[in-house]
Amino acid sequence: MKEEDLIKKLEEISLPKIEIKSHKERLNLALMKKYSPERKKAEVFNIFKKLVPAGVIAVLLFLFIFNNLNSQKYNLAKAKEIALQNNEIKNWLQQGSTIKDIKVVDGKAYVLIEPPEVKKEPEEPAPASLKSGVAFQENLTGEEKFGGALAEVNIKEKEVKNIKKLAPAANDLIKSKKDKALEIANKSQEVQEKIPREAEVLNINVATPKFRLSKEGNSVSAIPEIETEEKASIIYQFDENRCEGKVDLNKERMEEIKCLNEINTDATKE
Amino acid sequence: MLKEEKELIERAKKDPKAFSELYEKYYSQIFGYILKRVANLEIAQDVTSETFLKALKNLWQFQWRNIPFSSWLYRIANNEIVNYFRKQKGKKVSLEKIAEPISADNIEIEFIEAQEELKKHQDFLKAQEKISKLDIKYQEVIVLRFFEKKQIKEISEILGKKEGTIKSLLHRGIEKLKDEFFETL
Repeated sequence: MKEEDLIKKLEEISLPKIEIKSHKERLNLALMKKYSPERKKAEVFNIFKKLVPAGVIAVLLFLFIFNNLNSQKYNLAKAKEIALQNNEIKNWLQQGSTIKDIKVVDGKAYVLIEPPEVKKEPEEPAPASLKSGVAFQENLTGEEKFGGALAEVNIKEKEVKNIKKLAPAANDLIKSKKDKALEIANKSQEVQEKIPREAEVLNINVATPKFRLSKEGNSVSAIPEIETEEKASIIYQFDENRCEGKVDLNKERMEEIKCLNEINTDATKE
Repeated sequence: MLKEEKELIERAKKDPKAFSELYEKYYSQIFGYILKRVANLEIAQDVTSETFLKALKNLWQFQWRNIPFSSWLYRIANNEIVNYFRKQKGKKVSLEKIAEPISADNIEIEFIEAQEELKKHQDFLKAQEKISKLDIKYQEVIVLRFFEKKQIKEISEILGKKEGTIKSLLHRGIEKLKDEFFETL
């Protein structure tokens, strides 16, 4: 038999045209009964469908932030752990130095070690009233003191790559502060009136400069912190008398000057 | 025409009466198609029920793509026919559970009458028996083309296949049917 004949036969077959009304009616009733619950389900589903993308984004964002924070915390902890294994750093920390800050850039961590704050007593005890309460870090004995350090830690290789001591930079800063303090004092009217020209400057005390980490691009460096209140004290000696002048370095002015004979006179009066 | 149908569907998403209109419009067509596929009144009723219940469930996901609503219903019907035979002993839709009962006597009488009517079409029943032995993909295209008198384009819309694929399925289906069909006719 040919294909065309089969097609013709198929097209000519008498087809049933049956409809069962009772089924049609019952199914219609069933559909009407189900309409409202299905509509409610669809509405809930639609709301859910709209919320899902927002929810997914929120979860991803949360995971991203959480992961970043965690990895940052992990890197900081790891960098500290590696730094603490270095003998030199360990030694400084045992002597009271502290890890002030750590910054991580490109798998490298920069650890800033800050020297302990030392209250320095002058070599030759000055009268009680002339002692300054400011913390000093001046090298009077000539021995090299620890002025802080910046350690570079390679987290992947788990080793301290480089340690840069901050003492030279700190000393330069101290020297420039002292020069500035002396210049301000010598120009002031109080010093010109009270201190004779031949007076000897026994000591100039300034606060030890503190450093902080500064990130610029992919490099991190230690830069001096800007102090809001920076003071210096200068001790003059002349004729068996001593005077202490206090200088405000920020305001660039002499705050006060007190001499030993004035203090003794005041005490006798009392 | 299509525009009106689109509006009716949109209304049906909000108003059960509009959905009832859609049902009235397409019930006979879909029941007829399923009967031509299964040649059994009881199964045709069950599959038709499943088809419309599925259509109702998915009505709010239906998106208009310039294809008649009937094509979507035919597609659901095709899936339900496959599902029915896959789980022949699976659960059947019991309208008694979800609809108000209608006098059992009336249903029985109507059903017997419908059975008698179906028996009158012996050529169809024999042809359908042979067609039902073919793969589902051939059954679908042959019934849609020769019993539902659908154009190739419509069949392609219903089955979601290219027109070329439909032509080739039809050709191969006829070839397979040819050998055994007319021995018994």
